[in-house]
Amino acid sequence: MTMRDVLSSFREINSKYHMFHAVTGDADPGDAAFLFSAKDNLTSADMETCSGSRILEGYRPAFDAESIARMRAAGGKLIGKCNMDEFGFGTFSVNSGLEIPRNPYDPERSCGGSSGGSACAAAVFEDHVSLGVSTGGSICCPASFCGIYGIAPTYGRVSRYGLIDYGNSLDKIGVLSARAGDMRKYIHMISGRDPKDPTSCAQPELKDTGRKLKSAAVPKDGTEGLSADVKDAFDRSLEKLKSMGIDVETVEMPSLKYAMPAYYVLATSEASTNLARYVGMRYGRQRGDLSLRFDDYFSSFRSEYFGEEAKRRILLGTYTRMAGFRDRYYAKALRVRQSVIADYKSVFSRFDAVLTPTMPFTAPRFGEISGMSALDAYKADYLTVPANLAGTPHLSVPCGYDRNGMPIGMQFVADHWNEEVLFDAAESWEKGFEMVKPEVKV
Amino acid sequence: MKIGLEIHVQLPTASKMFCSCPTTDAPAPNTHVCPTCLGMPGSRPVLNRKVLEYGIMLAKMLGCTVADTTWFSRKTYFYPDMSKSVQITQYDNPVGEGGVYYLDSGKPIRITRIHVEEDPGKTKRVGDLSSLIDYNRSGIPLAEIVTEPDLSTPAEARSFLGQLIEDIRYVIDLPGDGERSIRCDCNISVGKERCEVKNVTGLKNVERALTFEVVRQTKILKAGGKIERETRRFDEERGVTVSVRKKEFEADYGYIDEPDLGIFHLKEMSDRIKIKESPQKMAVRISAEYGIDKKMARQLISTSADLASLFESAAREFGTKDAVKWIAGPVSSNWKTMESLGISPEGIVPIVREHCGGKITDTECGIRLKSYMTGKEPEEIAGSSGDLDKIIAGYLDSNPSVVSDYAKNPKAANKAIGAVMKQSGGKYQSSEVVEAVKRIIESRM
Repeated sequence: MTMRDVLSSFREINSKYHMFHAVTGDADPGDAAFLFSAKDNLTSADMETCSGSRILEGYRPAFDAESIARMRAAGGKLIGKCNMDEFGFGTFSVNSGLEIPRNPYDPERSCGGSSGGSACAAAVFEDHVSLGVSTGGSICCPASFCGIYGIAPTYGRVSRYGLIDYGNSLDKIGVLSARAGDMRKYIHMISGRDPKDPTSCAQPELKDTGRKLKSAAVPKDGTEGLSADVKDAFDRSLEKLKSMGIDVETVEMPSLKYAMPAYYVLATSEASTNLARYVGMRYGRQRGDLSLRFDDYFSSFRSEYFGEEAKRRILLGTYTRMAGFRDRYYAKALRVRQSVIADYKSVFSRFDAVLTPTMPFTAPRFGEISGMSALDAYKADYLTVPANLAGTPHLSVPCGYDRNGMPIGMQFVADHWNEEVLFDAAESWEKGFEMVKPEVKV
Repeated sequence: MKIGLEIHVQLPTASKMFCSCPTTDAPAPNTHVCPTCLGMPGSRPVLNRKVLEYGIMLAKMLGCTVADTTWFSRKTYFYPDMSKSVQITQYDNPVGEGGVYYLDSGKPIRITRIHVEEDPGKTKRVGDLSSLIDYNRSGIPLAEIVTEPDLSTPAEARSFLGQLIEDIRYVIDLPGDGERSIRCDCNISVGKERCEVKNVTGLKNVERALTFEVVRQTKILKAGGKIERETRRFDEERGVTVSVRKKEFEADYGYIDEPDLGIFHLKEMSDRIKIKESPQKMAVRISAEYGIDKKMARQLISTSADLASLFESAAREFGTKDAVKWIAGPVSSNWKTMESLGISPEGIVPIVREHCGGKITDTECGIRLKSYMTGKEPEEIAGSSGDLDKIIAGYLDSNPSVVSDYAKNPKAANKAIGAVMKQSGGKYQSSEVVEAVKRIIESRM
């Protein structure tokens, strides 16, 4: 499939899978070196950017996100902005004010989230790379559900300039693709210091020293609560890794079980302040009853255009930072984060990576998701959240398929700034893994 | 009665606190703006380090301990002129804490803390139902200085503020209209509960607002009522304070750390920054070192710090008496004229030196100093000051008691000054008259 073929057919494919919210009008790739798409919380000057929210409908940013700008500078052509959970708030891309992406292996199932549209595009189109964003697992989860590779690099590796914030101390921009080699290639392309994002300026250079993955630790808690098919695929993958000469051992990581509550406290605290700016003034949607007092106008506007999950997280996050609760929740969560990091550091003194399945189950049907409580959905992230809380780089590789043919993923976590080990893990794994591509029917 | 102030000072940086927009006066509303100070989604703050430098300078001036590490916090509240609905400010670990500032009277005022933060935009009401927002001010850096409730009267609060502003202006080179860029939140309690009057601009208004509150709170207490803790605002036109909201405690802002900016280690920066001696400290030192009145020292410094140092070198060379006579006398009264003409003060000391060496007389010295500092011919000065001297001499001849009164209380000179001003019909500058009257009275003592 040439770039021109993709450009002439992708709108039709999109009408079935809903991976894109906004798409390019161009049919001609021009002198583009490659095509790419980006999660819709990365600003693009030439395409509407909504972050999955009705409150931003119609918003055309004044600038490109740094990661998009670097892709374009390297010859990339942006073809679409990918559907997602509103502001990244979800695990299945169903918490959206816009369209919900469909799983390429079964359109009745979720792509995962919140970078669901990105994973879908990367799985469906040939030679396609998509930029995703992970706050608590939003790259690895959809990569796993859509049977592809996905990497969230170390916090601060890729400039967040132009990223519409969910939780600023957690958000990481990464890459999704059906090809393992793209992890190395595109993280090199978009990473590096950027004076426009001070948190990117402390990073050591990303090097190619040829460092290999030689050992991996499996935390005991990481193999509990798995569906039978996932457990089975993971066990077989461990055997395969051992046969590749990788030392795999089980370890205790006692702080991991506290990662989930700490993550939700910090992420929602930050999110509730980030979402405070959306009041129906200045940009995005601005219809409303102007005869109201400003605070009534803000409230009515926010009530109408934020989705249920966004409202839930604003309430949670506002509660956890109020006087009287701040020390009990927000301040305590900051301490838990330190102990989770310490737990990882101690494992990384002996092992190159921490290994678990990516998700405890495979992509659920939309009908199953609507039966889940918010808490059930939050709990589904228990394997991806710890690495995100610690800011450590992590990568999901496809490692099998369940009885319905739905993909299963396995997640490697490496020490801060050690993406190289993950690149090697993906590339070595790919050589021995037989990927079953989805049949795309239009 | 207890009064505490929260003073906001605009810091004189060239660009805003978190973006590169200029801080100069803008040609039109919403022209000095960018995605960052408008809070556009995806924009990000990058700290202007100059802001921390100014913060450290002020912390040192106020005798605060400069924090080894500092960071920023988010204060969340909804108001149309706050572009992100979040203000980037400091909560834990501000730049400086625990200082003391001395009033000219010697009374210590404890400084709780000093932190730096961004200013919101401005709301302009147009008609009864609508307002327009100008974000040119959004992101302008401010320092907030918080005092303990150590001030005991509105007048004391005003003189504290006046003195503080003068010091700040000198130490961080705040432009001349510094008072305009200073805003104050005034906390006052006559009884047990305090009220806060937000956002009062200017010294005079601070005193007016506080005085109004004293009267209001006293009346309520006398009538057996209770003061309710609340936030009020000052209506400048009517001279009254008006309730804005009841019992809104600070903690409602839900502070969290600002994750986009990280942590700043100030130790090295703080060690490197040396601040100029503040006028307040300089006045205390000069008055002690040369045995002159603190008020006179203060006056020299407030005219110009250069004048004060000229006084110091003259005092060292010629002794305090001649330094007071000449530097605090004609040199001081002609200083502003000299500055406005762009004349260098270099030629002043040689003239005084000639006088002290006995080469020229008192009168000649006075004439030559004025001639040098005003660029006028000595004959013109001699003529006009000769006339002025004659008027004064005439007045003192017929009112000899002024001289003896002056020995007891220097305020007695005011009577003569007023009469001479009236008699000369405003021909002479008041500073000139004051200087001449004092000089002639003293020569008669």
